[in-house]
Amino acid sequence: MVNLGIGLLVIVGVIVLLFVLGFFGILVGMYNSLIRLKNDIKKAWANIDVLLKQRSDELPKLVSSVKGYMKHEKTVLENLTKARTSLMNAKTIEEKAKADNIISGALKSLFAVAENYPNLKANENFMQLQKRISGIENELADRREFYNDAVNTFNIRIASFPDMIIAGMMGLREQDMFKVSEEDKKDVKIEF
Amino acid sequence: MAVDRLFFYSIFGLGFGVYIFFKSFCTYREKKMIENTPTSKVRSLAMGRVEVYGNVVPDKNNVVKTPFSNQECVFCLWRIEEYKRSGKSSRWVIIKKGLKGGHFFIKDDTGIVLVDPNGARIEIPSSFQFETGIGKEPDKHIISFCEEIGLPHKGLIFNKKLKFIEQAIREDNKLYIMGYAGDNPYVEDGSAEKNEADIMIQKGNSSFYYISNKPEKEILKSYGLRLLGGLLGGGALIIVCLFYIFFYLRIL
Repeated sequence: MVNLGIGLLVIVGVIVLLFVLGFFGILVGMYNSLIRLKNDIKKAWANIDVLLKQRSDELPKLVSSVKGYMKHEKTVLENLTKARTSLMNAKTIEEKAKADNIISGALKSLFAVAENYPNLKANENFMQLQKRISGIENELADRREFYNDAVNTFNIRIASFPDMIIAGMMGLREQDMFKVSEEDKKDVKIEF
Repeated sequence: MAVDRLFFYSIFGLGFGVYIFFKSFCTYREKKMIENTPTSKVRSLAMGRVEVYGNVVPDKNNVVKTPFSNQECVFCLWRIEEYKRSGKSSRWVIIKKGLKGGHFFIKDDTGIVLVDPNGARIEIPSSFQFETGIGKEPDKHIISFCEEIGLPHKGLIFNKKLKFIEQAIREDNKLYIMGYAGDNPYVEDGSAEKNEADIMIQKGNSSFYYISNKPEKEILKSYGLRLLGGLLGGGALIIVCLFYIFFYLRIL
């Protein structure tokens, strides 16, 4: 009778221990994966920032290579330079996203206007810069999408049960996506 | 005697139960990693942990032939199993295994990137399987491969009961890869025109390098089942084995 009591007690103890270990293990897993997600967002943003910087570095070269040909497109070039400056001064993700959208629009317009200048189109330096900048623009679009996916996963996780309990204790807050406003999506108007 | 064997199995079962119970925490970690990592476009891959999904494109210098079926592939895992009997029980035991092939490329709709599959956990179905035995003669490629690795395929009189299995990655196969995007050692730094040309997906310093022929959704589903099986199955095995051990030791 005593043996039976001890045996059952041990087995019940093991069952409880398994539950506790399982619960604790899942808890640790949740905590770690939330930390990983938070860092993934930071990394995804850093990967965008690198490209924004690379594109910014190419812009003065682009402006100097086209200004000899596009003397009548002063506004386009000024818009580009202004947008570059506002990107350099931007601190928050929102500000950077806004400046980035303006630059993308200005570049689109610049390359469209360049079609009217056959001499410019024949310039190898310009062609190389255009190819390089277009490449960066495509990469930027992919990385924005990647960033938004990472943010979306994070936001869903911290709002779902049971992760929301741990996220609440860790003080995790919903993150902003890299938004493109309808106004910013429009091309910069060029006057000929 | 029969009771002794059951006791032995219970001890073994207890150990195995504990192993699969704790192993399921690794499964949980890997599942979350797959779930939480967005799929990258090849064109914009950044260094670090990445997840890509695309078609296999062979590296011209790294196309190999599979050892048993002699088919072209970019990478192949092979194993030879032997049917062994011990007492009343019998089972297939792996007696030799290996891999063939090297790098290949993965292409999606934006670009193409080099992949070094060495060190990856590769989960793809077997593409070839052949069993030898009495009246089942192996093909000439199997015979020559056995000779190459010094494995006799014949017993004293008859052929040995062997199983030859291949898992091959071929051109145009769709693959899911979770790995580490690191520097491509075959391209000089800064010389690449495209971002992805200077990158190679590899094991790197990541603890989890995984290649599968399934899309992410299906992978997650199988991970979910494995996790549930590990936690519930492992836990149940521990409890059942403990019951028997205590019963045997007359504690219960």
